[in-house]
Amino acid sequence: MQIATKSDRMLVISDLHIGNPYSLAKRNLGGFLRYCREAGWDLCINGDGLEILQASFGVLARDALDIMTGLQELVRAGRRVFYVIGNHDIALEHLLQTSLASAICPFLNVTSGESRVRVEHGHLYDPSFVKHPVLYETLTRLAGPVLDWYPDIYKAWTGYQKMKDRWTRKRARSDLEASVYYEAADRILRRGFDAVIFGHTHAAEQVELLPGKVYVNSGNWLRGTSYVAIDHGRVYLASWKQDGPPEA
Amino acid sequence: MLPSPNRRARESEERFADGETIVREGEHGREMYVIQSGRVEITKRIGGEEVQLAVLEKGDFFGEMGLLESLPRDANARAIGPTSLLVINAGGLLVRIRRDPTFAFEMLHRLSGRIRQLNKRLADEHAERDASVSAADASLLYGGGEGGEDS
Repeated sequence: MQIATKSDRMLVISDLHIGNPYSLAKRNLGGFLRYCREAGWDLCINGDGLEILQASFGVLARDALDIMTGLQELVRAGRRVFYVIGNHDIALEHLLQTSLASAICPFLNVTSGESRVRVEHGHLYDPSFVKHPVLYETLTRLAGPVLDWYPDIYKAWTGYQKMKDRWTRKRARSDLEASVYYEAADRILRRGFDAVIFGHTHAAEQVELLPGKVYVNSGNWLRGTSYVAIDHGRVYLASWKQDGPPEA
Repeated sequence: MLPSPNRRARESEERFADGETIVREGEHGREMYVIQSGRVEITKRIGGEEVQLAVLEKGDFFGEMGLLESLPRDANARAIGPTSLLVINAGGLLVRIRRDPTFAFEMLHRLSGRIRQLNKRLADEHAERDASVSAADASLLYGGGEGGEDS
């Protein structure tokens, strides 16, 4: 199983949730994949690219077809595509390995220029996922039909998450207490990494946790278009615009 | 940002100057090291001569054999250039694995790679030995040895 690679130019996206009725990834991703191919970037999908917990296999197969074709074109053009497994697509690990014909990884250590960058989905540090895995999966599955019936319920969920996040940060006595993901990233950074990229939370952000060392969250493509660029060792958060070049 | 007090008790960060010895072969030590910056040369005395086994880079780790097996160090480790290390003791390793589970995965991945390399070397040496034994057998059978023309 591959867990390390060298790449001078790599783009990282996460949380596409293709198959989820609320996901706009299918609409937005075509242009982005074309840009990767033409500008010569490797691509890493940092978890939850496909949705199997909240979608039927039939819907997933229908929605994923164009994107799988786009990824295969990218591979045929000589670009490399890495897929880091998340918590919504863990059941598809073997299927992805055979159909995508590129590396499926539990996490990926990328050496770019002089920098070492960890790319990982980040669900392993989610207290709800770790402490109550069965309840977490059950609730996630139950949310599937609700999303199908009323997709905007997702807004209520993200609103609740943001409120909870603000409350936690307000009460925190240090930066590390402000987020479990900051604490997890800090531990990894101390092992000789220069940047840590997580997904999972859907909230794109970039924070300098140690001098010269950053934590970046790649956000989501469910409703967003954020991505992280690893360019000759420099790591930055950016947003994809359909009608223009990407901006840092 | 400073580490939390709990973490400081189980893990520490140490700096070494260029050429400074980090661990010595034969010494007892219960810590393992992760390279935060700089490089580390691993050497071992073989037949009275010091042989370089590896040069480790940022993110690599060493000393885990001493920690896991409580045996004397198997090799020397020396800093190449200013080097900063994360030092982990046995209790600290368990805590780290609990909170940073991918570290355990990376260690197993590395150890698995080493076993594969050793197996390959063993198989190659066996094949080489078998080939030389076969060649010797053939020379005995077909008179390839010294003064064997009459045999």
